[in-house]
Parts: sequence; C-alpha cells; structure tokens
Amino acid sequence: MTDEPYRWLEAIANRRDYVREQLKGGSPAFAVSMPAGILLLGVGSGSSKVFELHDRHAMAGLGHPADIERIRQTAIDAAHIEAFTRAAQDVSLRRLVGFGLSAQVKQNFEQLFTAPVLGEFVFAELGDTPAHDHLVRLRFDGSFVTQSGGVCIVAPETEAESAAQEWLRREIESRTSLEAIADLLLQTWWCLKEGMSFPPTTPAESERQSGWKANLAGKTIEAALLRRQSSSVSRYETLVLNSEGLGIH
Amino acid sequence: MTQTTAIAGDFLSLLAQHETRLFAQHPIGSMPNQTQATTVFAFHFAEGVLMAGDRRATAGNLIVTDKIEKILEIDATSLLAIAGVPATAFEMARVLQTSFEYYRRSQLQPLSLAARVRALARLLRDNLPMTMQGVGIVVPLFAGVDFSEKSPAPHIYFYDPLGAQFQAVGHAASGSGSASIRSIFAFHERHGTPRPSEMNRLEATRFALRLLMTASELDSATGGVDPSSNQFATLKILTSSGIQTVSDSDQAAALATDPNANAG
Repeated sequence: MTDEPYRWLEAIANRRDYVREQLKGGSPAFAVSMPAGILLLGVGSGSSKVFELHDRHAMAGLGHPADIERIRQTAIDAAHIEAFTRAAQDVSLRRLVGFGLSAQVKQNFEQLFTAPVLGEFVFAELGDTPAHDHLVRLRFDGSFVTQSGGVCIVAPETEAESAAQEWLRREIESRTSLEAIADLLLQTWWCLKEGMSFPPTTPAESERQSGWKANLAGKTIEAALLRRQSSSVSRYETLVLNSEGLGIH
Repeated sequence: MTQTTAIAGDFLSLLAQHETRLFAQHPIGSMPNQTQATTVFAFHFAEGVLMAGDRRATAGNLIVTDKIEKILEIDATSLLAIAGVPATAFEMARVLQTSFEYYRRSQLQPLSLAARVRALARLLRDNLPMTMQGVGIVVPLFAGVDFSEKSPAPHIYFYDPLGAQFQAVGHAASGSGSASIRSIFAFHERHGTPRPSEMNRLEATRFALRLLMTASELDSATGGVDPSSNQFATLKILTSSGIQTVSDSDQAAALATDPNANAG
C-alpha cells in the first residue's frame, strides 16, 4: 500500500495521530537556563524523566519509558564515544541531536513497519554563561528546535506547550532563586496536567502552589542542575525536591 | 537506533563495536627509546590514603620532563598512579575515566570497587603483547573507596605487568625508585614513631616528600623535591569523601616546618 503516494500520506497521518494519542496524559518536563546553571525538572510516577548524559549535558522527556530509555542510551553512547575519540569539549548538542538522534527518530517515524518513538524530549547543554547554554526540543517525528538559553517545556499538547512556554518565559523573569524557579515550574506542570489555559484565565499563584502540592501523591519530583560553577568535571547534580523544599543530593 | 552494547554499561565493548583499537596487538620492528615514568607510592595514614609521585619522565639517560603528572584522578573516589611508559599509562587512565563514567551514567549506579580494580587488570592483560615485547610496560597502583562497606574507606591495590592484582595492607610502591622506598616503609612500619598509618596529614605529607627526596638520591630516574627551585611532587589524598590535592605551597610549608630538617 505504501508505494502509492496517497496511501503513504494517509498512513503517516494515522501514525502521527496514533503517537499523539499515546503521548496524551504524559507528565510535562522542563529545562530552564539560569545564572546558576540549567535546571531540569519533571514529575514522574514510577519511571525516571531526568537524566545525565555527559559532563555538561542532560535530558528530560515524557513518553513510553522504553523509548525514553532507548533515546537516553543512544545519546550516552554517542557522547562517550565522541568524548573518548576526540575530547569532552567536542561533545555538542548540535551534532548529537542534529546529526544523530534527529535522523534516527525521523527514520523510525517514517518507516511504517518499524515502531515509532513514543516520546518527546528536551536536551540541555551547559555553556560558560546563560547566553551560551543550548536547549534542544526534539519531537517524536524527528523535528527539532534549538534555542540559546531561556525556557523549554516538553508537553503532550503542542498548543498548550507553546502557550505555557510563553507565559513561563514572562513569569520567570522576576524569580532568581533555584527554589522559586522550581516552584514556578511545578505550578506550570500542574496547570498543564489540569488542562488549564494560560493568561488570562490562569489561577492565582497561591492556588497553583496548593494545586501542585496536592497532586504529588504517588509521584516523585525529579530535578537536576547542570551547575555552572563547579570544581567537578561532571556538572550534573541531582536535587532533592518535595513539597517541603529543595535540597542537593 | 544503535545496537545495544554486548555487555550493558561496558565501554570497552562499545568501543569494540566502533572498531576502536586501544593498544597495538602486533609485534613492532625495532624498539623505540621509550619514555619511562617513576616513582610512585601510596600508603594508609590516619585520615585515609596518600598517593604520591615524583614528576620526572626519562628516556634512557635523558630527562624528558620534570613536570609530568603521575597521580591521576580517575573519578571522584579513584586514583591511579602510573609507573612505566606514559603513552600506554595515560591511555589506560583515559579508558578507565571514560569507562567508569559511562557505566555510572548508562546504568544509573556507580561501579563497585571490585569492578574498578578488575577493569585496570583487564587493561593490563589487553596490553600483554606489548608488555611481553618490553614495549609499553605499565605497573600501576590504584586506590579507591569501597562504598559497600559499613564505614566506606579507601583501599590500595598494586599490580604486576600481566594484570594480577593485590591489595596492599599498609603501602605499595612502583617504579625504579620503589626499592628504596619500600625499605624505608618497612623500617617505619616496624620502628617508626609515629608509624605511617598513625600519621596525621602534615606528618604524612612531610614523610612522603622525604621518601621522594631519598629515592631521588639513589635513582637518577626519580625526580627530587627541592623547594629552593620550586620543584615539588604530586600528592593526592583519598578519603571516603573524595580526593584532595596537596598544593605546592602546602608541600613547601610541610618541609619548612619540619622539626627534623637538619637530620635529612
């Protein structure tokens, strides 16, 4: 059937609908570039969402745990081979995602007789300053967008993700501490999970705060910081975060 | 997607998939004048393990450099001391650094001390063809913290060139100056006041520097320690909380406050 162009287009469209349906209900994940480093955060229920990739690289995602694991392992393999055969400074998201992962995810999506990747991802690369940080948003069809610094959200609904990202970008400007930014990300997480629209009908901050705290039952907040100032080669630090506060593990 | 590695979390099998060869496996025509690095040692003191090395590399009767680093940090709680051919030893250190981090990141747990010790033994075995030809021989020391113990503590291991591994009770030494250093250790472990295992950080630092000074007087391939010409050793301290480097200024201070300075 796929040798006829129309059938192929129809099959791809069906496949896109299938993947989107599978990703519905996924728990959003976040990456934020800030002076202290890059904060990655997700809320999981039984499976991990935030991972270290290399000295200055990390990722977060939503979707099927097996597919997140497959992408994670592929990225780790590629990063370590690159660092060993060249140097750690040569590991870059531009090459890792742009020349490697993106093409493989696209191929998986468009080859109709292979399983598509049921996952959406954000990759983070720590720079010397926030302006040199890179965030890459990789979608299930292999398309990706790179940005320097800022905020990046991974959510199952594209429209809600864009609206939340725009709102978060404005709201985050008035916050400087790690705790305050993590709190804001969790507020955004709760709004997205509840299917709320963003301005002008966003609920008040106190309501959003009590909302995310009340919805943590059976779930774990996963957070990590790619720390800019560190004596360690590996900049990834796991943060312990619960409704009581934030600590470094 | 790429194939999964043959052994999960094993960086060497990942390298093999990419057909990256670590060490030369075939005989070479003639033996080059090899750069050698000596002398290194490690011992237990009151706070943990002190690992020390001089900074001289030689090739035959030539001094190649007096600035080489022979005590290498493999990860946050592992140290490698290299004696032998730096070209091979540095490559082994790089393989270990990448392997340990690769395992920790890919398997989401750190490698056990036993596995870290065996990883080095495996590299030495892989280097066997070069060792048997007398080219690229490496006789390293390894120190790491065992976190499976109730009270995690650092341990010292030494190896033979074929990869056999041995745990050191009090101390271990390798390289051309190691014979004199082992003799002094044996004496101090029996008659010293305090014994090396009882020394505090300052005493251990001073003891290590004096050991290297003595070795350099008896072995031309061992670089000395001479504060007047700003020539110091590489000293690293391993405890259960991590690695600390004893700076040149701290080494100078340890020697300057030596109550037995005139005794040599």
